[in-house]
Amino acid sequence: MENMNNEEELMLCMHDIHKSFGDLEVLRGIDLEVRRGEVLAIIGPSGSGKSTLLRCINKLETIDSGRIEIKGETLAETDDSGKAVYVEAKKGRRLLSSMGMVFQQFNLFPHMTVLGNLLEAPMMVKGLRREEIEPYARELLQKVGLSDRADYYPSQLSGGQQQRVAIARALCMKPDIMLFDEPTSALDPELTGEVLRTMRELAAEHMTMVVVTHEMGFAREAASHVLFMADGSIVEQGRPAALFGHPQEERTRSFLQNML
Amino acid sequence: MEKLLDTFLLMLDGSEITLEIFFLTLLAALPLGMLAALGRLSSLRLLSRLVELYIWIMRGTPLMLQLLFVYFALPMVGIRLPDIAAALLAFILNYAAYFAEIFRAGIQSVPKGQYEAARTLGMSYPQTMRRIILPQVFRMVLPPVSNETINLVKDTSLVYILAMNDLLRVARTIVQREFDMTPFVIAAAFYLSMTFVLTWGFKKLEAYYGKYEQ
Repeated sequence: MENMNNEEELMLCMHDIHKSFGDLEVLRGIDLEVRRGEVLAIIGPSGSGKSTLLRCINKLETIDSGRIEIKGETLAETDDSGKAVYVEAKKGRRLLSSMGMVFQQFNLFPHMTVLGNLLEAPMMVKGLRREEIEPYARELLQKVGLSDRADYYPSQLSGGQQQRVAIARALCMKPDIMLFDEPTSALDPELTGEVLRTMRELAAEHMTMVVVTHEMGFAREAASHVLFMADGSIVEQGRPAALFGHPQEERTRSFLQNML
Repeated sequence: MEKLLDTFLLMLDGSEITLEIFFLTLLAALPLGMLAALGRLSSLRLLSRLVELYIWIMRGTPLMLQLLFVYFALPMVGIRLPDIAAALLAFILNYAAYFAEIFRAGIQSVPKGQYEAARTLGMSYPQTMRRIILPQVFRMVLPPVSNETINLVKDTSLVYILAMNDLLRVARTIVQREFDMTPFVIAAAFYLSMTFVLTWGFKKLEAYYGKYEQ
């Protein structure tokens, strides 16, 4: 962003992240920063490590080495032996609870209604009483355009509706950062629009977001910063207009050409 | 006609043992099977291996042999149990092993994404199991559990070799004494009606817990 306000709070900082699955090195020294209100889009061919990177942010995958800071507090850090060490469980949980996640496969709880999906974590994890959180949950459902589906089960909804419920469910925990792992990749093309619209609205409300996506239109229009990854490394990054308009690297150019 | 009624009442009496073994076995084997399944899936290798060994032995030998072992072999090493307790011990250990494998398969069939979603929402492992995983497992294992339960109804008849007067033994005694086959037909009707009630009950349960499926 031109006027990227470096005074804004640093929400997420990753430094020199390395991660291997067995012999396969999937992340080879990744650095990134996300400030409050920014929308970071991560693009790249499949197998580039972008989903793994996202999953490292909230510890669904653990890093081998490097440093992760959430809102200025360390979540994991390389110690003297060169291995990443995570902070103690209680602090870790507190840091992780500031992040919500939306998955490619929605992962709604099939045995609970839409409203039940939203209420579950606030009641079980935060210990809120139903009447303390239900009005907010209903507000969120309204926001994602599903207030009339509160009592439906996930199986009764379309993929696009399910993903919007998943977004509302994550928001119901009032996260500071939202992580999206290819949120539209499992959807029929005609259903991606409604999910992207919801995400655009979130971005417009200055929600801090990290989005792994194949939707170049979304990355171009809604992201404040785009990061192109290939083979576990960041090849190129910058403002969307620059990265999409004048890619500097050959690898980026050929990827973007293939996507269009 | 009066004779028939007598036979019927005698057999009703015999079905008491049958039902007692059936219900007590279910009551104990279901929770024990769940514990064994969790142990089998535990990351503690030793525990997982021990449970695997237990399941292998219980599924790998005839229930009849297990009954005889508990009834005749244990007393030789000084462990003497009342008849019904001996039978129950063998039934419970045997059925818990089968239930353990059913539950393990059920737990493993819940997609990994369910655990991940619960985790990213901040839920602890016990919360995730209790609120998210097990309710889905419960629905999925109903058909195989129903199957095993119906098997159990019929397996209770194995106690006749322990000289316990269950439904089948009573029937056989009368048949041998009166040289009349009616008791076998009545026994069949008893087993069938128990199975009928079970089938109906499980169907209701499946409908109730399956209401979220389209």
